[in-house]
Amino acid sequence: MRGHASLLGTYVEGTSPLHRLPLWLKGLTVLVLSTSVLLVNTPVLTAGALTVTAAGYLVGARLKPIHLWRPLAPVWPMLVILGGYQVIVNGPEPALQLVGNITVCLLAARLLTLTTEGQLLLDGLVALAVPFRRLGADPERFGLTLALMTRSLPYLVGSVADVRDAARARGLERSPRALVIPVVIGAVAYAHQTGEALAARGLGEPREPGPPSAS
Amino acid sequence: MIVFEGAAVSVDGPVRQRQILEPVTLTLAERRIAVIGANGSGKSTLLKLINGLITPTAGRVVVEGLNTVNAGRAVRQRVGFVFTDPLSQLVMPTGREDVELSLRARVRRPADRRAAAISVLERFGLAPLADQSIYDLSGGERQLMALATVLAVNPDILVADEPTTLLDLRNERRVRSLFRTLDQQVVFTTHDLEFATDSDRVLVIDSGRLVFDGDPQQAIARYRSLHLDPDKLPGGDHR
Repeated sequence: MRGHASLLGTYVEGTSPLHRLPLWLKGLTVLVLSTSVLLVNTPVLTAGALTVTAAGYLVGARLKPIHLWRPLAPVWPMLVILGGYQVIVNGPEPALQLVGNITVCLLAARLLTLTTEGQLLLDGLVALAVPFRRLGADPERFGLTLALMTRSLPYLVGSVADVRDAARARGLERSPRALVIPVVIGAVAYAHQTGEALAARGLGEPREPGPPSAS
Repeated sequence: MIVFEGAAVSVDGPVRQRQILEPVTLTLAERRIAVIGANGSGKSTLLKLINGLITPTAGRVVVEGLNTVNAGRAVRQRVGFVFTDPLSQLVMPTGREDVELSLRARVRRPADRRAAAISVLERFGLAPLADQSIYDLSGGERQLMALATVLAVNPDILVADEPTTLLDLRNERRVRSLFRTLDQQVVFTTHDLEFATDSDRVLVIDSGRLVFDGDPQQAIARYRSLHLDPDKLPGGDHR
């Protein structure tokens, strides 16, 4: 199984200013940056946000330039298709803007995971859900669910690549069925296995009522 | 101690109930117990009954005095389970974070949790791999990491479903030697008959039935007689 861990990125150890920044501040910055480029949607803001994000990687987090490319590598075909469609329908400027905005969101989100330890991220997600406890929410399960989502996306991207290679090896690269069906079946099997593994480790289980007994 | 009291598993079939595991009655008290049998014979079902991942449709399974049906959570706190494919078991991006996930309920302070996780990984010789992506680890390293995440919480019993199936010879030896050093009671399935001889007791499962229970050498001979009988082999003499 090919693992596309680079889509959301695993934590890179460091002592840079961004590594030391509190999680809430980093999260808020990502939120503000992403929503502003999507809502305001002007070329100047997109270019500015791209510059700020790139500076965040290279200066703020002292990461190598390759880290800027890694999250884009698995999605560039989609960006090219989206951009191409926009060029035909709306012209080059909106196309560049759309691709730029998606790139800002992807890079900013990845910068957060690259500079924040997984467990700290999980603690932050759990803290985020604590106010909803009075409504019956279980913060630990909420955090675990989101952590699983960030882990599952790279796995599924890897699964698509594996299935595509397998279809190509059998000369079926033009058959959508040869791509879609194994990916869907694989995703369901993966979800089942992950659920079973979590249950086996007692993770995310609700508390049982009453004392345990052998009766 | 693990007690099976007429524990059986069946599922709904298209026409009638299909028996996955015939009623099993036995008490497992030995330190090392191997379960051998052909693919699809019911070995994994038997193992999953031990920590309540599957509940019996008849009879009951009692682990350390706890019924797996009404005390599933408590049972799973005492029984660690290792799957054949460690990738389906490792949830977090790195081994250290996964061990920390196991420790979350026991160690609340993040700094203490991190120190405890590193200590666990050092115990298993995995500290140099602590911060590597699980996707960058070899199959053997991943399996050892999966074992570390389960053993981090010191379960009383370790259940392992074909833990060496995906491993090369070197890593298979590593897992086997680790198993020998564990304090826990260990129940594992395997297709490696040499690995089965490391145990004190071997169960042979065939077509959902427990057909032998006892000494490893005799169990292996019984298993071989079941599957290497010329009359049962493809192309054999089917008189």
